[in-house]
Amino acid sequence: MKIFDSIQLGHSGPTCQQCVHFQNDPAVIEDVYRGLTAMSSGFASVRDRDGLCQYHQIYLSARDSCPRFAARKDDRVGGYND
Amino acid sequence: MATTTTTNETETAGIKQPSGLSPFLAKEDWWAVWLGLGIIILAYIFYLSGSSISWIAVAPAKWSTLSQLGTQLSTTAVRYLALLGAFLVLFTIVTSFIGQKPKAFIPSFIFVFTLSTIIYILGNWDQASRYNLEPPLVALVLGLIISNVIGLPRWLDAGFRVELYIKLGIVLLGATLPFTLIIWAGPVAILQASIVSVVTFLTIFFVARKLGLDHRLAAVLGAGGAVCGVSASIAVAGAVRAKKEDPPIAISLVVFWAIIFIFALPLVSRTLHLPTGVGGAWIGTSEFADAAGLAAAQSYGGLAGKNLGISGTADQALASYTLIKVIGRDVWIGIWSFVLALIAVTVWERSETNAKVPVGQIWWRFPKFVIGFLVASILTTVIVHGNTLADYNKLVKPALIAPITSLRTWAFTFSFLSIGLTTRFRELANAGSKPFVAFTAGVIVNVILGYILSVVVFGHYWAGVVTH
Repeated sequence: MKIFDSIQLGHSGPTCQQCVHFQNDPAVIEDVYRGLTAMSSGFASVRDRDGLCQYHQIYLSARDSCPRFAARKDDRVGGYND
Repeated sequence: MATTTTTNETETAGIKQPSGLSPFLAKEDWWAVWLGLGIIILAYIFYLSGSSISWIAVAPAKWSTLSQLGTQLSTTAVRYLALLGAFLVLFTIVTSFIGQKPKAFIPSFIFVFTLSTIIYILGNWDQASRYNLEPPLVALVLGLIISNVIGLPRWLDAGFRVELYIKLGIVLLGATLPFTLIIWAGPVAILQASIVSVVTFLTIFFVARKLGLDHRLAAVLGAGGAVCGVSASIAVAGAVRAKKEDPPIAISLVVFWAIIFIFALPLVSRTLHLPTGVGGAWIGTSEFADAAGLAAAQSYGGLAGKNLGISGTADQALASYTLIKVIGRDVWIGIWSFVLALIAVTVWERSETNAKVPVGQIWWRFPKFVIGFLVASILTTVIVHGNTLADYNKLVKPALIAPITSLRTWAFTFSFLSIGLTTRFRELANAGSKPFVAFTAGVIVNVILGYILSVVVFGHYWAGVVTH
Protein backbone atom coordinates (compact mmCIF):
# COMPACT_ATOMS: atom_id res chain seq x y z
CA MET A 1 0.00 0.00 0.00
CA LYS A 2 1.19 3.48 -0.86
CA ILE A 3 0.68 4.73 2.67
CA PHE A 4 3.01 2.10 4.15
CA ASP A 5 5.64 2.83 1.49
CA SER A 6 5.67 6.40 2.75
CA ILE A 7 6.52 5.50 6.35
CA GLN A 8 10.19 5.70 7.21
CA LEU A 9 11.34 3.49 10.07
CA GLY A 10 15.08 4.04 9.85
CA HIS A 11 17.27 6.66 8.30
CA SER A 12 19.82 6.75 5.48
CA GLY A 13 21.40 9.31 3.23
CA PRO A 14 21.94 13.03 3.60
CA THR A 15 19.18 15.09 5.15
CA CYS A 16 18.28 18.74 5.33
CA GLN A 17 20.13 18.89 8.64
CA GLN A 18 23.43 18.83 6.73
CA CYS A 19 22.22 21.03 3.87
CA VAL A 20 23.54 24.52 3.28
CA HIS A 21 20.02 25.77 2.49
CA PHE A 22 18.61 24.63 5.83
CA GLN A 23 18.46 26.68 9.01
CA ASN A 24 16.87 25.57 12.26
CA ASP A 25 18.60 27.52 14.98
CA PRO A 26 15.76 28.01 17.51
CA ALA A 27 16.76 31.61 18.19
CA VAL A 28 16.61 32.38 14.48
CA ILE A 29 13.24 30.67 14.10
CA GLU A 30 11.94 32.80 16.98
CA ASP A 31 13.29 35.87 15.25
CA VAL A 32 11.81 35.01 11.86
CA TYR A 33 8.46 33.95 13.28
CA ARG A 34 7.64 36.93 15.47
CA GLY A 35 4.87 36.03 17.88
CA LEU A 36 6.03 32.43 18.25
CA THR A 37 7.39 33.12 21.74
CA ALA A 38 4.13 34.64 22.96
CA MET A 39 2.51 31.24 23.28
CA SER A 40 5.16 28.73 22.27
CA SER A 41 8.91 28.55 21.84
CA GLY A 42 11.66 27.83 19.37
CA PHE A 43 13.13 25.52 22.00
CA ALA A 44 9.99 23.40 22.48
CA SER A 45 10.09 19.64 21.95
CA VAL A 46 7.11 19.80 19.59
CA ARG A 47 9.27 21.73 17.14
CA ASP A 48 11.77 18.88 17.07
CA ARG A 49 14.56 19.92 14.67
CA ASP A 50 12.36 21.63 12.08
CA GLY A 51 13.65 24.62 10.22
CA LEU A 52 13.49 26.76 7.13
CA CYS A 53 14.66 25.72 3.69
CA GLN A 54 15.91 28.88 2.06
CA TYR A 55 15.92 27.23 -1.34
CA HIS A 56 12.31 26.02 -1.44
CA GLN A 57 11.03 28.62 1.06
CA ILE A 58 9.29 25.99 3.14
CA TYR A 59 9.33 25.03 6.81
CA LEU A 60 10.16 21.37 7.24
CA SER A 61 11.85 18.67 9.27
CA ALA A 62 15.63 18.44 9.47
CA ARG A 63 15.19 14.76 8.63
CA ASP A 64 13.77 15.50 5.19
CA SER A 65 15.82 15.46 2.01
CA CYS A 66 15.53 16.57 -1.59
CA PRO A 67 17.44 16.53 -4.89
CA ARG A 68 18.69 20.07 -4.23
CA PHE A 69 20.74 18.93 -1.27
CA ALA A 70 24.05 20.77 -0.98
CA ALA A 71 26.32 19.73 1.85
CA ARG A 72 27.57 22.33 4.28
CA LYS A 73 31.29 23.00 4.06
CA ASP A 74 31.72 22.56 7.79
CA ASP A 75 29.96 20.50 10.40
CA ARG A 76 27.61 23.20 11.54
CA VAL A 77 24.22 21.88 12.49
CA GLY A 78 21.48 23.93 13.94
CA GLY A 79 19.39 21.38 15.74
CA TYR A 80 19.25 18.34 17.89
CA ASN A 81 18.09 14.81 17.65
CA ASP A 82 15.40 14.67 20.25
CA MET B 1 15.24 41.62 0.96
CA ALA B 2 13.90 40.34 4.22
CA THR B 3 14.73 36.80 3.22
CA THR B 4 18.30 37.73 2.32
CA THR B 5 18.81 39.41 5.67
CA THR B 6 17.46 36.41 7.47
CA THR B 7 19.76 34.11 5.56
CA ASN B 8 22.82 36.07 6.57
CA GLU B 9 21.72 36.19 10.18
CA THR B 10 20.98 32.52 10.28
CA GLU B 11 24.35 31.56 8.91
CA THR B 12 25.95 33.53 11.71
CA ALA B 13 23.59 32.18 14.31
CA GLY B 14 24.19 28.64 13.15
CA ILE B 15 27.84 28.87 14.16
CA LYS B 16 26.90 29.89 17.68
CA GLN B 17 24.64 26.90 18.09
CA PRO B 18 26.47 24.20 20.02
CA SER B 19 26.24 21.19 17.73
CA GLY B 20 25.61 17.80 19.24
CA LEU B 21 24.20 19.19 22.48
CA SER B 22 22.07 16.53 24.11
CA PRO B 23 18.33 17.08 23.67
CA PHE B 24 18.07 16.67 27.43
CA LEU B 25 19.92 19.98 27.74
CA ALA B 26 18.76 21.73 24.58
CA LYS B 27 14.99 21.72 24.91
CA GLU B 28 12.97 23.80 27.34
CA ASP B 29 10.69 20.81 27.94
CA TRP B 30 13.48 18.76 29.46
CA TRP B 31 14.74 21.68 31.50
CA ALA B 32 11.25 22.12 32.93
CA VAL B 33 11.39 18.46 33.94
CA TRP B 34 14.83 18.75 35.58
CA LEU B 35 13.98 21.97 37.41
CA GLY B 36 10.51 20.87 38.49
CA LEU B 37 11.51 17.43 39.73
CA GLY B 38 14.66 18.88 41.31
CA ILE B 39 12.54 21.33 43.32
CA ILE B 40 10.15 18.57 44.40
CA ILE B 41 12.98 16.26 45.46
CA LEU B 42 14.68 19.09 47.35
CA ALA B 43 11.39 19.93 49.05
CA TYR B 44 11.02 16.29 50.06
CA ILE B 45 14.57 16.10 51.45
CA PHE B 46 13.89 19.17 53.59
CA TYR B 47 10.58 17.66 54.67
CA LEU B 48 12.23 14.38 55.68
CA SER B 49 14.77 16.28 57.76
CA GLY B 50 11.94 17.95 59.65
CA SER B 51 12.33 21.24 57.82
CA SER B 52 10.77 22.84 54.74
CA ILE B 53 11.64 24.96 51.74
CA SER B 54 8.82 27.29 52.76
CA TRP B 55 11.29 29.99 53.88
CA ILE B 56 12.49 30.57 50.34
CA ALA B 57 9.16 29.71 48.67
CA VAL B 58 7.77 32.95 49.98
CA ALA B 59 4.27 34.09 49.06
CA PRO B 60 2.52 37.29 50.08
CA ALA B 61 -0.10 36.98 52.79
CA LYS B 62 -3.50 38.63 52.63
CA TRP B 63 -3.43 42.33 53.46
CA SER B 64 -5.99 45.07 53.72
CA THR B 65 -4.08 48.28 54.49
CA LEU B 66 -0.82 49.71 53.22
CA SER B 67 0.64 49.71 56.70
CA GLN B 68 -0.11 46.00 56.99
CA LEU B 69 1.58 45.44 53.68
CA GLY B 70 4.58 47.50 54.75
CA THR B 71 4.99 45.48 57.92
CA GLN B 72 4.68 42.26 55.97
CA LEU B 73 7.28 43.28 53.39
CA SER B 74 9.74 44.56 55.97
CA THR B 75 9.84 41.11 57.56
CA THR B 76 9.91 39.11 54.31
CA ALA B 77 12.04 41.26 52.02
CA VAL B 78 15.12 39.12 52.48
CA ARG B 79 13.12 36.03 51.54
CA TYR B 80 11.97 37.65 48.31
CA LEU B 81 15.58 38.53 47.53
CA ALA B 82 16.65 34.96 48.24
CA LEU B 83 13.91 33.64 45.98
CA LEU B 84 14.96 36.02 43.22
CA GLY B 85 18.55 34.84 43.64
CA ALA B 86 17.53 31.18 43.44
CA PHE B 87 15.38 31.69 40.33
CA LEU B 88 18.12 33.78 38.74
CA VAL B 89 20.74 31.08 39.23
CA LEU B 90 18.51 28.29 37.96
CA PHE B 91 17.05 30.11 34.96
CA THR B 92 20.38 31.66 33.95
CA ILE B 93 21.90 28.18 33.79
CA VAL B 94 18.97 26.94 31.71
CA THR B 95 18.89 29.84 29.28
CA SER B 96 22.67 29.71 28.90
CA PHE B 97 22.39 26.11 27.76
CA ILE B 98 19.78 27.03 25.16
CA GLY B 99 22.01 29.77 23.83
CA GLN B 100 20.99 33.01 25.53
CA LYS B 101 23.44 35.44 27.02
CA PRO B 102 23.29 35.88 30.82
CA LYS B 103 23.97 39.61 30.49
CA ALA B 104 20.64 39.92 28.63
CA PHE B 105 18.72 37.37 30.66
CA ILE B 106 19.63 38.58 34.15
CA PRO B 107 18.31 42.16 33.94
CA SER B 108 15.30 40.94 32.01
CA PHE B 109 14.41 38.35 34.61
CA ILE B 110 14.86 40.85 37.45
CA PHE B 111 12.33 43.01 35.61
CA VAL B 112 9.93 40.04 35.29
CA PHE B 113 10.38 39.06 38.94
CA THR B 114 9.82 42.61 40.19
CA LEU B 115 6.61 43.05 38.24
CA SER B 116 5.44 39.55 39.21
CA THR B 117 6.01 40.35 42.88
CA ILE B 118 3.87 43.47 42.58
CA ILE B 119 1.14 41.49 40.79
CA TYR B 120 1.28 38.64 43.35
CA ILE B 121 1.04 41.14 46.21
CA LEU B 122 -1.80 43.02 44.53
CA GLY B 123 -3.70 39.75 44.10
CA ASN B 124 -3.57 39.26 47.88
CA TRP B 125 -5.19 42.59 48.64
CA ASP B 126 -8.50 41.76 50.32
CA GLN B 127 -10.32 44.06 47.88
CA ALA B 128 -8.68 42.61 44.77
CA SER B 129 -11.65 40.52 43.65
CA ARG B 130 -13.95 43.51 44.12
CA TYR B 131 -12.00 45.30 41.40
CA ASN B 132 -11.48 42.15 39.28
CA LEU B 133 -7.74 42.24 39.94
CA GLU B 134 -7.15 38.53 39.39
CA PRO B 135 -3.35 38.17 39.18
CA PRO B 136 -3.24 36.27 35.84
CA LEU B 137 -5.35 38.92 34.13
CA VAL B 138 -3.45 41.77 35.75
CA ALA B 139 -0.16 40.19 34.62
CA LEU B 140 -1.42 39.79 31.07
CA VAL B 141 -2.88 43.29 30.78
CA LEU B 142 0.17 44.90 32.34
CA GLY B 143 2.45 43.01 29.96
CA LEU B 144 0.33 43.95 26.95
CA ILE B 145 0.35 47.62 27.91
CA ILE B 146 4.10 47.67 28.47
CA SER B 147 4.92 45.91 25.19
CA ASN B 148 2.34 47.62 22.97
CA VAL B 149 2.04 51.11 24.43
CA ILE B 150 5.31 51.82 26.18
CA GLY B 151 7.60 49.46 24.28
CA LEU B 152 10.71 47.66 25.45
CA PRO B 153 14.12 47.07 23.86
CA ARG B 154 14.24 43.77 21.99
CA TRP B 155 17.13 42.38 24.04
CA LEU B 156 14.88 42.28 27.10
CA ASP B 157 12.96 39.43 25.46
CA ALA B 158 15.68 37.12 26.79
CA GLY B 159 13.82 36.79 30.08
CA PHE B 160 10.29 36.53 28.68
CA ARG B 161 10.34 32.71 28.32
CA VAL B 162 6.59 31.99 28.39
CA GLU B 163 7.00 28.30 27.63
CA LEU B 164 9.81 27.56 30.05
CA TYR B 165 7.92 29.13 32.94
CA ILE B 166 4.58 27.54 32.10
CA LYS B 167 6.10 24.08 31.66
CA LEU B 168 7.94 24.38 34.96
CA GLY B 169 4.66 25.44 36.57
CA ILE B 170 2.84 22.46 35.07
CA VAL B 171 5.48 20.02 36.37
CA LEU B 172 5.09 21.57 39.83
CA LEU B 173 1.32 21.38 39.41
CA GLY B 174 1.74 17.63 38.96
CA ALA B 175 2.99 17.48 42.54
CA THR B 176 -0.37 18.74 43.77
CA LEU B 177 -2.47 16.29 41.75
CA PRO B 178 -2.95 12.75 43.06
CA PHE B 179 -1.92 10.23 40.44
CA THR B 180 -5.16 8.42 41.16
CA LEU B 181 -6.98 11.51 39.85
CA ILE B 182 -5.05 11.32 36.59
CA ILE B 183 -5.94 7.63 36.28
CA TRP B 184 -9.58 8.35 37.19
CA ALA B 185 -10.13 11.41 35.03
CA GLY B 186 -7.57 10.82 32.29
CA PRO B 187 -9.77 8.64 30.07
CA VAL B 188 -12.66 11.13 30.26
CA ALA B 189 -10.25 13.97 29.52
CA ILE B 190 -8.90 12.12 26.49
CA LEU B 191 -12.39 11.24 25.24
CA GLN B 192 -13.74 14.77 25.65
CA ALA B 193 -10.66 16.46 24.21
CA SER B 194 -10.45 14.04 21.30
CA ILE B 195 -14.05 14.65 20.24
CA VAL B 196 -13.57 18.41 20.32
CA SER B 197 -10.13 18.30 18.69
CA VAL B 198 -11.23 16.17 15.76
CA VAL B 199 -14.43 18.14 15.13
CA THR B 200 -12.62 21.49 15.43
CA PHE B 201 -9.80 20.38 13.14
CA LEU B 202 -12.17 19.12 10.49
CA THR B 203 -14.24 22.31 10.68
CA ILE B 204 -11.25 24.58 10.18
CA PHE B 205 -9.69 22.33 7.55
CA PHE B 206 -12.75 21.97 5.37
CA VAL B 207 -13.85 25.61 5.68
CA ALA B 208 -10.31 26.61 4.72
CA ARG B 209 -10.35 24.25 1.74
CA LYS B 210 -13.78 25.50 0.72
CA LEU B 211 -12.37 29.02 0.73
CA GLY B 212 -9.58 27.89 -1.55
CA LEU B 213 -6.70 27.73 0.92
CA ASP B 214 -3.84 25.30 0.43
CA HIS B 215 -4.00 21.87 2.13
CA ARG B 216 -0.96 22.61 4.24
CA LEU B 217 -2.11 26.00 5.47
CA ALA B 218 -5.51 24.47 6.24
CA ALA B 219 -3.80 21.76 8.32
CA VAL B 220 -1.57 24.26 10.14
CA LEU B 221 -4.62 26.38 11.00
CA GLY B 222 -6.65 23.32 12.01
CA ALA B 223 -3.96 22.03 14.35
CA GLY B 224 -3.62 25.45 15.97
CA GLY B 225 -7.32 25.60 16.73
CA ALA B 226 -7.78 21.96 17.65
CA VAL B 227 -4.71 20.70 19.49
CA CYS B 228 -2.43 23.08 21.35
CA GLY B 229 -2.34 26.43 19.66
CA VAL B 230 0.88 27.87 18.33
CA SER B 231 2.88 24.80 19.35
CA ALA B 232 0.61 22.52 17.33
CA SER B 233 0.68 24.84 14.34
CA ILE B 234 4.45 24.97 14.24
CA ALA B 235 4.75 21.21 14.79
CA VAL B 236 2.32 20.37 11.99
CA ALA B 237 3.90 22.99 9.73
CA GLY B 238 7.19 21.12 9.99
CA ALA B 239 5.52 17.75 9.54
CA VAL B 240 3.59 18.68 6.38
CA ARG B 241 6.31 20.96 4.95
CA ALA B 242 4.27 24.11 5.02
CA LYS B 243 5.18 27.22 3.11
CA LYS B 244 7.43 29.58 5.02
CA GLU B 245 4.64 32.14 5.35
CA ASP B 246 2.03 29.69 6.73
CA PRO B 247 3.06 29.49 10.42
CA PRO B 248 2.87 33.27 11.04
CA ILE B 249 -0.74 33.25 9.84
CA ALA B 250 -1.64 30.57 12.36
CA ILE B 251 0.39 32.31 15.08
CA SER B 252 -1.54 35.55 14.57
CA LEU B 253 -4.93 33.85 14.70
CA VAL B 254 -4.13 31.69 17.71
CA VAL B 255 -2.71 34.62 19.68
CA PHE B 256 -5.69 36.82 18.75
CA TRP B 257 -8.33 34.32 19.86
CA ALA B 258 -6.36 32.99 22.82
CA ILE B 259 -6.08 36.46 24.33
CA ILE B 260 -9.79 37.11 23.83
CA PHE B 261 -10.59 33.77 25.51
CA ILE B 262 -8.33 34.46 28.48
CA PHE B 263 -10.84 37.13 29.42
CA ALA B 264 -14.03 35.77 27.86
CA LEU B 265 -14.10 32.17 29.15
CA PRO B 266 -13.71 33.08 32.86
CA LEU B 267 -16.23 35.89 32.40
CA VAL B 268 -18.87 33.63 30.85
CA SER B 269 -18.13 30.87 33.37
CA ARG B 270 -18.59 33.40 36.15
CA THR B 271 -21.87 34.61 34.70
CA LEU B 272 -23.12 31.02 34.51
CA HIS B 273 -21.79 30.25 38.02
CA LEU B 274 -20.01 27.14 36.80
CA PRO B 275 -18.20 25.15 39.51
CA THR B 276 -14.45 25.74 39.25
CA GLY B 277 -13.75 22.18 38.09
CA VAL B 278 -16.30 22.53 35.30
CA GLY B 279 -15.08 25.96 34.27
CA GLY B 280 -11.51 24.64 34.19
CA ALA B 281 -12.58 21.73 31.97
CA TRP B 282 -14.31 24.07 29.54
CA ILE B 283 -11.28 26.34 29.41
CA GLY B 284 -9.04 23.29 28.89
CA THR B 285 -11.22 22.18 26.01
CA SER B 286 -11.67 25.52 24.28
CA GLU B 287 -8.52 27.58 24.94
CA PHE B 288 -5.61 27.10 22.59
CA ALA B 289 -2.19 27.58 24.14
CA ASP B 290 -1.20 26.08 27.52
CA ALA B 291 -0.10 29.36 29.06
CA ALA B 292 -3.17 31.26 27.87
CA GLY B 293 -5.49 28.57 29.19
CA LEU B 294 -3.75 28.39 32.53
CA ALA B 295 -4.11 32.16 32.89
CA ALA B 296 -7.85 31.79 32.30
CA ALA B 297 -8.20 28.72 34.55
CA GLN B 298 -6.22 30.21 37.42
CA SER B 299 -8.14 33.43 37.09
CA TYR B 300 -11.46 31.60 37.27
CA GLY B 301 -10.33 29.32 40.10
CA GLY B 302 -9.34 32.41 42.06
CA LEU B 303 -12.99 33.46 42.16
CA ALA B 304 -13.99 30.46 44.27
CA GLY B 305 -15.03 31.16 47.83
CA LYS B 306 -15.59 34.87 47.27
CA ASN B 307 -19.35 34.92 47.62
CA LEU B 308 -19.87 34.99 43.88
CA GLY B 309 -21.89 31.80 43.79
CA ILE B 310 -18.99 29.80 42.36
CA SER B 311 -18.48 26.45 44.06
CA GLY B 312 -15.28 24.43 44.21
CA THR B 313 -11.69 25.37 44.87
CA ALA B 314 -9.01 27.22 42.93
CA ASP B 315 -7.02 24.00 42.52
CA GLN B 316 -10.00 22.19 40.99
CA ALA B 317 -10.02 24.64 38.09
CA LEU B 318 -6.32 24.07 37.50
CA ALA B 319 -6.64 20.30 37.86
CA SER B 320 -9.47 19.82 35.39
CA TYR B 321 -7.92 22.33 33.00
CA THR B 322 -4.59 20.52 33.06
CA LEU B 323 -6.12 17.09 32.67
CA ILE B 324 -8.06 18.13 29.58
CA LYS B 325 -5.37 20.31 28.04
CA VAL B 326 -2.22 18.35 28.81
CA ILE B 327 -3.45 14.75 28.98
CA GLY B 328 -6.37 15.16 26.58
CA ARG B 329 -4.79 17.37 23.92
CA ASP B 330 -1.08 18.18 24.18
CA VAL B 331 0.28 14.63 24.32
CA TRP B 332 -1.28 13.75 20.97
CA ILE B 333 0.60 16.33 18.92
CA GLY B 334 3.08 13.71 17.69
CA ILE B 335 0.24 11.53 16.41
CA TRP B 336 -1.43 14.48 14.70
CA SER B 337 1.85 15.45 13.07
CA PHE B 338 2.57 11.92 11.90
CA VAL B 339 -0.90 11.34 10.45
CA LEU B 340 -1.00 14.70 8.71
CA ALA B 341 2.50 14.19 7.33
CA LEU B 342 1.42 10.83 5.91
CA ILE B 343 -1.66 12.38 4.34
CA ALA B 344 0.49 15.18 2.95
CA VAL B 345 2.82 12.87 1.05
CA THR B 346 0.23 10.32 -0.02
CA VAL B 347 -2.95 12.28 -0.70
CA TRP B 348 -2.15 15.96 -1.16
CA GLU B 349 0.11 17.23 -3.87
CA ARG B 350 3.70 16.14 -3.35
CA SER B 351 6.06 18.88 -2.24
CA GLU B 352 9.50 19.66 -3.58
CA THR B 353 11.04 17.24 -1.13
CA ASN B 354 10.95 13.48 -1.59
CA ALA B 355 11.54 12.24 1.93
CA LYS B 356 9.35 9.70 3.66
CA VAL B 357 7.55 10.24 6.92
CA PRO B 358 9.55 9.09 9.95
CA VAL B 359 7.40 7.31 12.50
CA GLY B 360 9.83 8.50 15.17
CA GLN B 361 8.30 11.96 15.14
CA ILE B 362 5.54 10.67 17.40
CA TRP B 363 8.19 10.67 20.12
CA TRP B 364 10.40 13.48 18.82
CA ARG B 365 7.49 15.92 18.96
CA PHE B 366 6.10 14.59 22.22
CA PRO B 367 5.90 17.46 24.76
CA LYS B 368 8.41 16.03 27.23
CA PHE B 369 7.36 18.24 30.13
CA VAL B 370 4.33 15.96 30.44
CA ILE B 371 6.72 13.26 31.68
CA GLY B 372 7.77 15.58 34.49
CA PHE B 373 4.13 16.35 35.27
CA LEU B 374 3.30 12.64 35.59
CA VAL B 375 6.44 11.75 37.58
CA ALA B 376 5.78 14.67 39.95
CA SER B 377 2.26 13.39 40.51
CA ILE B 378 3.47 9.85 41.17
CA LEU B 379 6.19 11.07 43.54
CA THR B 380 3.91 13.12 45.76
CA THR B 381 1.17 10.50 45.66
CA VAL B 382 3.66 7.97 47.02
CA ILE B 383 4.94 10.46 49.61
CA VAL B 384 1.46 11.41 50.78
CA HIS B 385 0.21 7.81 50.80
CA GLY B 386 -0.03 6.44 54.31
CA ASN B 387 -0.68 9.77 56.01
CA THR B 388 -3.98 10.27 57.74
CA LEU B 389 -5.99 13.29 56.64
CA ALA B 390 -5.11 14.99 59.93
CA ASP B 391 -1.39 14.37 59.43
CA TYR B 392 -1.61 15.51 55.87
CA ASN B 393 -3.27 18.81 56.78
CA LYS B 394 -1.02 19.39 59.80
CA LEU B 395 2.35 18.22 58.47
CA VAL B 396 2.55 17.38 54.80
CA LYS B 397 0.54 20.22 53.33
CA PRO B 398 2.26 23.18 55.03
CA ALA B 399 5.78 21.76 54.88
CA LEU B 400 5.75 20.10 51.45
CA ILE B 401 2.76 20.88 49.24
CA ALA B 402 2.22 24.58 50.12
CA PRO B 403 5.77 25.71 49.20
CA ILE B 404 5.61 23.79 45.92
CA THR B 405 2.26 25.45 45.22
CA SER B 406 3.80 28.83 45.96
CA LEU B 407 6.68 28.24 43.53
CA ARG B 408 4.15 27.04 40.96
CA THR B 409 2.23 30.30 41.31
CA TRP B 410 5.45 32.26 40.80
CA ALA B 411 6.26 30.30 37.63
CA PHE B 412 2.75 30.83 36.27
CA THR B 413 2.88 34.55 37.03
CA PHE B 414 6.22 34.87 35.18
CA SER B 415 4.56 33.14 32.24
CA PHE B 416 1.35 35.19 32.19
CA LEU B 417 3.33 38.40 32.38
CA SER B 418 5.64 37.18 29.62
CA ILE B 419 2.65 36.46 27.35
CA GLY B 420 1.76 40.13 27.52
CA LEU B 421 5.35 41.27 27.19
CA THR B 422 5.95 39.19 24.05
CA THR B 423 2.61 39.84 22.34
CA ARG B 424 3.29 42.82 20.11
CA PHE B 425 0.20 43.18 17.97
CA ARG B 426 1.90 45.28 15.32
CA GLU B 427 4.45 42.50 14.74
CA LEU B 428 1.86 39.80 14.13
CA ALA B 429 1.37 38.85 10.49
CA ASN B 430 -1.76 39.93 8.72
CA ALA B 431 -3.65 36.64 8.58
CA GLY B 432 -5.99 37.61 5.77
CA SER B 433 -9.75 37.22 5.66
CA LYS B 434 -9.98 33.62 4.46
CA PRO B 435 -7.75 32.12 7.18
CA PHE B 436 -9.57 34.30 9.71
CA VAL B 437 -12.98 32.99 8.61
CA ALA B 438 -11.82 29.37 8.61
CA PHE B 439 -10.16 29.61 12.01
CA THR B 440 -13.07 31.50 13.53
CA ALA B 441 -15.51 28.84 12.31
CA GLY B 442 -13.46 26.30 14.26
CA VAL B 443 -13.36 28.57 17.29
CA ILE B 444 -17.17 28.81 17.35
CA VAL B 445 -17.63 25.05 17.01
CA ASN B 446 -14.93 24.43 19.60
CA VAL B 447 -16.37 26.72 22.24
CA ILE B 448 -19.96 25.44 21.85
CA LEU B 449 -19.00 21.77 21.75
CA GLY B 450 -16.55 22.33 24.58
CA TYR B 451 -19.31 23.84 26.70
CA ILE B 452 -21.74 21.00 25.98
CA LEU B 453 -19.21 18.31 26.87
CA SER B 454 -17.70 20.10 29.89
CA VAL B 455 -20.96 21.28 31.45
CA VAL B 456 -23.82 19.13 30.20
CA VAL B 457 -22.27 15.73 29.46
CA PHE B 458 -19.34 15.48 31.89
CA GLY B 459 -20.15 18.36 34.26
CA HIS B 460 -20.75 16.12 37.27
CA TYR B 461 -17.40 14.51 36.62
CA TRP B 462 -15.38 17.72 36.51
CA ALA B 463 -17.19 19.23 39.50
CA GLY B 464 -15.94 16.31 41.59
CA VAL B 465 -12.23 16.57 40.81
CA VAL B 466 -10.19 16.10 43.99
CA THR B 467 -6.73 17.58 44.53
CA HIS B 468 -4.12 17.18 47.31
